[in-house]
Amino acid sequence: MGKVIVITSGKGGVGKTTSTANLGTALAMIGKTVVLVDADIGLRNLDVVMGLESRVVFTSMDVIEKNCDLDKALVKDRRVEQLVLLAASQRNRKDDIKPEQMQDICERLKEIYDFVFVDSPAGIEQGFHNAAAGAEEAIIITTPDVSAIRDADRIIGLLQNQNIEPINLIINRLSPALVKKGNMISKNDVLDILNIDLLGVIPEDTGVIASTNRGIPLVHNDGSPGAEAYMRIARRMTGQRIPIPEMRDDNFFSKLLTWFSRNQ
Amino acid sequence: MEMANSIVKLRGYKDGLHLIITPKFSLTDVEEAIQELMDGMNQPLAGTSVHIDMSPSLLTDDDLKELETHLIQKHDLVVSGVSVVDEKCEPPILAAPATHNISTSLPAENLPDFGKAQIVRQTIRSGQTTSCLSGSVIIYGDVNPGGDVVAAGDIIVLGTLRGSAHAGVHGKLSAVIIAMELVPLQLQIGSYVNRPPIGQKPRGYPEIARVGAEDIIIVEEFIKF
Ligand SMILES: Nc1ncnc2c1ncn2[C@@H]1O[C@H](COP(=O)(O)OP(=O)(O)OP(=O)(O)O)[C@@H](O)[C@H]1O
Ligand SMILES: [Mg+2]
Repeated sequence: MGKVIVITSGKGGVGKTTSTANLGTALAMIGKTVVLVDADIGLRNLDVVMGLESRVVFTSMDVIEKNCDLDKALVKDRRVEQLVLLAASQRNRKDDIKPEQMQDICERLKEIYDFVFVDSPAGIEQGFHNAAAGAEEAIIITTPDVSAIRDADRIIGLLQNQNIEPINLIINRLSPALVKKGNMISKNDVLDILNIDLLGVIPEDTGVIASTNRGIPLVHNDGSPGAEAYMRIARRMTGQRIPIPEMRDDNFFSKLLTWFSRNQ
Repeated sequence: MEMANSIVKLRGYKDGLHLIITPKFSLTDVEEAIQELMDGMNQPLAGTSVHIDMSPSLLTDDDLKELETHLIQKHDLVVSGVSVVDEKCEPPILAAPATHNISTSLPAENLPDFGKAQIVRQTIRSGQTTSCLSGSVIIYGDVNPGGDVVAAGDIIVLGTLRGSAHAGVHGKLSAVIIAMELVPLQLQIGSYVNRPPIGQKPRGYPEIARVGAEDIIIVEEFIKF
């Protein structure tokens, strides 16, 4: 029996879809069976980031409306085995799906897959509630800025009220150089406010945009700082004890840390 | 001891049994839920007294009277008292309460007894509100930006207060706000408001806010009462 993890943030554009695609791919690369569920109905984009857009025939809406079986709607990844995607319908709206329907799909998927990741839409409305409905755990994505942190905090409160536990944190787009100059909120300041366990920190990485555009998740791009960070998180999620390195803007240190994490 | 369904919970506290009613439900729902709760009990409660805890502006006074009669007649339970609190202030309710604007001064003799304190064992996060309209609030955690604490009496935060706090909400100007770290968005005591300068850094020691001689809220290091 696998587990259902919702990836959510409150604020839009902070990296939920990027993180879903990369964590899912990373876990599949280290041997786990993974299904990615796009819960951002109407704005389908997980399939684009995964480079699977042309392969989508059925969506979760078709499963709900019984146009097809669940396993027929699952799109196989092009590169990694044991990784599939359940796409979201673009023709529908967020409130066309009920929480119970989403819950039912998640229940069935976790019978088969080790990890069921649900990519949540931004906001705290129906779409978010649908995404969280079937989840037992959550990963909060935030960027180190005041409004993203505020929204993350709000979402954590809502998830705690639904007894979703654990709720872990990924801080995305941290730029050590900016933190050092005092122009960006530091990792510790974010943790101080949100007060939940940190899964990892993803640095600002120009490779992300390139990989999004090509439809190849960053983790395939061995050696980029973002890829390394997602791989470390994936290994942490399988129970390995991988320390979270302190990010340094200093080139020598970051090379050293990358070297260390490669040789663990 | 703890028995619960989604509408009402029965909890044993030091001072006896409390019947905790969650917000948003009608009197009929509540009565049904109580029936269900009683049906599920394996020890009879008849003859015991219960204290009702519920959220502000949930049931009307008439509703409450009817509920009391209902509890006595159907379940042989005596209501020992009613507190308008937020489920012992946990979990905090998620909407700002209407109670927020009632900071008009009541005549002194109408002021409730502030002896009671509600203890909240969690951080009040953005969008959450916790209020205690019959006493003081003690928070074992932080109050984050966007979080709100309202109390008839004092507010004591055994953590960092980054959100908003309104003490003495019924007009008690001797109410104080104390926090281990005080970097709030806004403080209110009675009808006085204090907005600290933006970008204020934590000082590293506890602070107390109270209404000073000039009718302004002053903030200073908290050493002792
Ligand atoms: N670590 C990063 N470094 C640089 N750019 C990033 C990083 N993470 C995400 N981005 C960019 O930020 C944008 C938004 O990312 P993404 O679509 O994953 O966010 P989202 O939270 O899913 O957004 P939405 O709320 O719209 O669903 C994308 O253009 C992506 O390429
Ligand atoms: Mg997205």
